Amino acid sequence: MRLKKYEDMNLQELDVMKEISSIGTSHAATALSKLLQKEIRISIPEINILGYEETVDRLGYIEELVTATLVRMSNQINGLMLFVFKMDLANAVLGKLIGKEYESFEELDELAYSALEEVGNIIICSYVNAFTQLVGVEIDLSVPSSTVNMLGGVLTVPMAEYGYVTDKLMYINAEFIVDGKKLSDGLLMLPDIESLNRILEKLGVS
Amino acid sequence: MVMAEKEIKVGIGDMKFARGDNVVITYALGSCIGITFYDPLIKLGGLLHVMLPARVDPNDPKVFKYADSGIRETLRKLTAFGLVKSRTVVKIAGGAKMFEMKGSGNADFGNIGVRNATMVKRVLMDERLRIAAEDIGGSYARTMLINVSNGDVIIRTVGKPEKHL
Repeated sequence: MRLKKYEDMNLQELDVMKEISSIGTSHAATALSKLLQKEIRISIPEINILGYEETVDRLGYIEELVTATLVRMSNQINGLMLFVFKMDLANAVLGKLIGKEYESFEELDELAYSALEEVGNIIICSYVNAFTQLVGVEIDLSVPSSTVNMLGGVLTVPMAEYGYVTDKLMYINAEFIVDGKKLSDGLLMLPDIESLNRILEKLGVS
Repeated sequence: MVMAEKEIKVGIGDMKFARGDNVVITYALGSCIGITFYDPLIKLGGLLHVMLPARVDPNDPKVFKYADSGIRETLRKLTAFGLVKSRTVVKIAGGAKMFEMKGSGNADFGNIGVRNATMVKRVLMDERLRIAAEDIGGSYARTMLINVSNGDVIIRTVGKPEKHL
């Protein structure tokens, strides 16, 4: 059966997506670990298919300032990848990369901003690379684009992009554990519905 | 910020209205647009938060999600509660471009804010409503609120002082 909405996925399909996400996320963590030269553990990812407000609540609060990196997917899979940095993870990264920590995203200078964009891009790319190999699809990625903005505003971008099809977001949530500290990350993989169907078909579950 | 008895929250693709000592607020408008309607004589104020320009499927029950159906339904509702169009003060905010995408094929991406703004203005003009003030575009999210006791509309953004529209 072809899906019309994210939330139509059955348990088996969700399990498969979760499995793939788990591999994708561990690739992303490996990339991050190399960059930070630190051991990084990850929790088992969860796939959440949530409405806008629930997604905001899971990630933080609506007016919270975050840095987000967006990459567009095209070719056999169309959609968006979004990585949301909160202050704790950003500081873990910036402390290591440029030897400086920041009170808030408002203080980010050009260097710190570029560093975060690059790390966001690396996490997204390693996730997508693992994904393409596993699923056997070709995905082209755009150059990354980043913003420092309110969390709620950032999440309206995928909401509006797919607003004519669905009111839900597919949000992959895993925790990076660095130095025994849980750092929240927000990785959103948002294939359009047609692409989601293609993924599930390729994996033989639909 | 003006303190009030109660803050009424408007979600994405929704509309709320109130009378008297209330504040109606919507958080973090990105490419979405917030539209306030205020009738000063009877102190009736509404805030609509639309996400997309036009309702394509006429059976889609989410009327407030779209600029065209959202504005019309808001006016229908508020009029039923005594709002008179000729007295109504309309203000709009939002329509930002959150991400600047480079590269070919991405030119259109993120222009939804502009498309929303164009549609909102067109529908308001069709309804013969003048826009008293606007804070549209840019690349940042906005929180918009209206104090229904006096019609004051406030825009909150990160790193900037509050702005009265």
